[in-house]
Amino acid sequence: MRYFRGCRSRFSRGVITFLLVVGWPGFVQAASVDDVIAAAKKEGVIEFYAPSTLTLPGAQALAEGVNKKYGLNIKLNYNPSGSMPKDIAKLVGLSASGIPPEWDLMCTTDAHQAPLWSKKLHQTFDYRPLGVNPKAIQYDGGAVSFANQIVLPAYNKKLVAAKDVPQKWEDLLDPKWKGKLAVTDATHHLARLAAGAWGEEKTTNFVKALTKQNLMLGRLGEIYNRLLLGEVLVSVTMNDSQMHAGRHKGAPIVFAEQVTPVVAPAYIAGVPKGAKHPHVAYLFAAFLTTTEGQKIWEKTSGATSAFIPGTEAYKFAQGKKLVLMEQEQAGMIERLAVEYGKILGFGGL
Amino acid sequence: MDIVTDVKIADRTVDGRPRGFEFFAGALMALLLVIVGLPLLMVVLMSLRTGLPGEGGALTLVNFVAVYSNPKTYQVLMNTLLFATGSVVVALVFVVPLVWLLMRTDVPFKKTIMVLLTVGILIPVFLRTIAWILLLSPKIGLVNQWAMQIFGLERPLLSLYNIPGMAFIQGVSFVPGAFFMLAAAYRTMDPSLEEAAHTAGVSKLRTFLKINIPITMPAIAAVMVYLFMTAISVFEVPAIIGMPARIQVLSSLIYSSTSPPAGLPDYGLAGALGAVMLVVGLILAYFYVRLVRQGKKYAVVTGRGYRPREIALGRWKWPAMAFIFLYLAMEVFIPFLVLFWTSLLPHMQLPSMEALATVSWNNYLTMPSNVGIRPVLNTAVLMFAVPSVAMILSVLISWVVIRSDVSFRGMLDTAAFLPHAIPHILLAVGLGYLGLAYRNYFPLYGTIFIIMLAHIISWIAYGTRTTNGVMIQVHRELEEAGKVAGASKSRVLWRIVLPLIAVGVLNSWIWIAMLSYREVTMALTLFTRKNVVISTVVWQLWGNGSIPEVSALGVVIVLFAAVVVGGLRIVLSRIGTIGAAN
Repeated sequence: MRYFRGCRSRFSRGVITFLLVVGWPGFVQAASVDDVIAAAKKEGVIEFYAPSTLTLPGAQALAEGVNKKYGLNIKLNYNPSGSMPKDIAKLVGLSASGIPPEWDLMCTTDAHQAPLWSKKLHQTFDYRPLGVNPKAIQYDGGAVSFANQIVLPAYNKKLVAAKDVPQKWEDLLDPKWKGKLAVTDATHHLARLAAGAWGEEKTTNFVKALTKQNLMLGRLGEIYNRLLLGEVLVSVTMNDSQMHAGRHKGAPIVFAEQVTPVVAPAYIAGVPKGAKHPHVAYLFAAFLTTTEGQKIWEKTSGATSAFIPGTEAYKFAQGKKLVLMEQEQAGMIERLAVEYGKILGFGGL
Repeated sequence: MDIVTDVKIADRTVDGRPRGFEFFAGALMALLLVIVGLPLLMVVLMSLRTGLPGEGGALTLVNFVAVYSNPKTYQVLMNTLLFATGSVVVALVFVVPLVWLLMRTDVPFKKTIMVLLTVGILIPVFLRTIAWILLLSPKIGLVNQWAMQIFGLERPLLSLYNIPGMAFIQGVSFVPGAFFMLAAAYRTMDPSLEEAAHTAGVSKLRTFLKINIPITMPAIAAVMVYLFMTAISVFEVPAIIGMPARIQVLSSLIYSSTSPPAGLPDYGLAGALGAVMLVVGLILAYFYVRLVRQGKKYAVVTGRGYRPREIALGRWKWPAMAFIFLYLAMEVFIPFLVLFWTSLLPHMQLPSMEALATVSWNNYLTMPSNVGIRPVLNTAVLMFAVPSVAMILSVLISWVVIRSDVSFRGMLDTAAFLPHAIPHILLAVGLGYLGLAYRNYFPLYGTIFIIMLAHIISWIAYGTRTTNGVMIQVHRELEEAGKVAGASKSRVLWRIVLPLIAVGVLNSWIWIAMLSYREVTMALTLFTRKNVVISTVVWQLWGNGSIPEVSALGVVIVLFAAVVVGGLRIVLSRIGTIGAAN
């Protein structure tokens, strides 16, 4: 621990030096696009953390897009996520020890970065001059929302007749599904329902009622494959990241698209405080919200923003109720996700 | 006073070597205290704090209160006990006859069977488990469907979604590792005892039960202790078979604490849960050390006319082959067939004509872009360096523990065993923070070397269980003869002991290489873009649901390993022949 204090001291000196070199964040906030580009040019590199579904070619395509758009020659180091909760925890622990983050830009779901916001570990920035829609700016300027997952019940269309396809969430409570349903350990999907019109009480009652259906439990990838094999017919929730690749390969797993509201977790890009190459990171975050960025992200991960006209998610969302998480609801969703995990039998004391 | 005792007295009082030897043993102990003790200290500190590692905060027992005041903990511990005990029993039921057949009898195709046993581990456990689901799932399992059709049953005959099902699958997958731990002990057994039994008209089965098993009891006990601890910490089978049926074991609770659906991991809670493993590990280590202290009575490789010889099975040869084939079918053939079938598909499908129409080599063609070269190189480094260092340390530790009267040899053995009682996730988190905190002095963090260190620490326990088992069986008179001839202790180790235990050491080397290839928890926790290994790529593909891509990778690795391991086995069989080594 004494070493950590030493680190902190060295870190403080480092931060002062760093700020003298690249400028105080307040200065950055007032900076023009040209200033950010010029600073990014000096930094020259980005440590880019993103879901492994993006893949290295996808990340490289993003780098090419950024370089082309801003006339840069940034080198991108792609860091595919191993485990988002553990990686965020590592960053929080490192920060407490005065150790700078490994990554300049982190692309995760909104819930995963909630601890960075609550512990004020985001590098805040005014993204508006970079052309980012103010509605996409989250966590008090600490992150930019650039895509939405779609979360709905999913079923094997070869095994479920059209007349039996759930039309609403409550249809999953029909006794005919007993022993034929699965639920994933991404219990925050269900917790997010509470963030919308359902509220906490109705959502909790729904989860409790689900337990009477003799659910099969498992992790996302496993449940997707159990659906394919026919071990279960319907998964209570599934996200489009899982289904994107399967869709292109003719897998018979589809969403019950009539079900509403649609849970739509956001993918956000946040710059951790103390990042070594923040300006490149700001440009990347802004680029992800552009039409070019959306196309690349969609091609590799299947997700786009429900708020950028013309994207797949935007089209899908038309006429549907989306449940989005407000930053103030992050704590509630975290609490409910853990509670629902216990109710459903996933573990936890 | 006989000549051996005279030599011992002279050894202690005149040449002063024991003092030097104690210094050497002390240095080994110090090394273990550093590489095992520091991460262990981090784990203990984690369990006594509520924040994240690095956040500091006051020490508290709140995690222990939360864990041990909750009745659910005890239900989970009971499940864990049943699962672990069942797994060990299943493993022993298969492994003891297997090792006897392959090491003591003239059963055919030994080298091929050994290679198959080795490469079987390369099939990822979750894919192996999917094969079991295809066979025994109450809903889609082929065995159940056939049984229902043939016997007109209304309900499935078998279900694997229960504790016996979990224990069976886990126990079967333990067999190869246990086999290589026991192999050398059986290989080096003096056949004169069996021959005496045969001369007295004792049957082969009775000889096996009354001579082979009792003589190898320390090695069997070591395997039981090791497997029991492994069963407590494994996660894949509890996750894939236990979780769907809400059966929780200790590793499930640790997983849910460290991989929450939202928010931050609770390493403190995980540490408090892991304390159970530490306590159980210490208790088992205590009993094991007591057993080892009685080891002299198990010494069977002596200097008097030692010559391993095979027992002729006669008419029992083919029933023995059937037993081996049954095991290999469960462990290797069926999982590999499932792996190969899946690797040809665009997505998971049960075998059908429709599925057959979709097969292609696409998953093999896209493999270079899915995997890249760096994970392959890093994995190759791990697979060579980890077993090499772990086995060198294991031989030296066992040499002190089994061959010396050093007062702290029990502690040394316990220190070598303890890492096996630390949950891998916590060990890696502790090591990761140490690596970061001291990165200016030991720039290991983010490199393949930190994963290497984590693996070495973890598998010293495996290595020492094997080397303890084989060293016990080598009678001291051989070393004492060497000393009489004027050889130094190190020369005795190098020229006499090592050749006699070479089979065990090399078997363990191969096995640790396989474990290092397969390990994912620590590799993932210490993962950066520079130290990515194949197992983390497999994990990521699996997490994405890309099972056909993982399967293609698995097929290539299994085939490649079959060639490499086959070659090594040929070399091993020559080195491992006692006569040839001399």
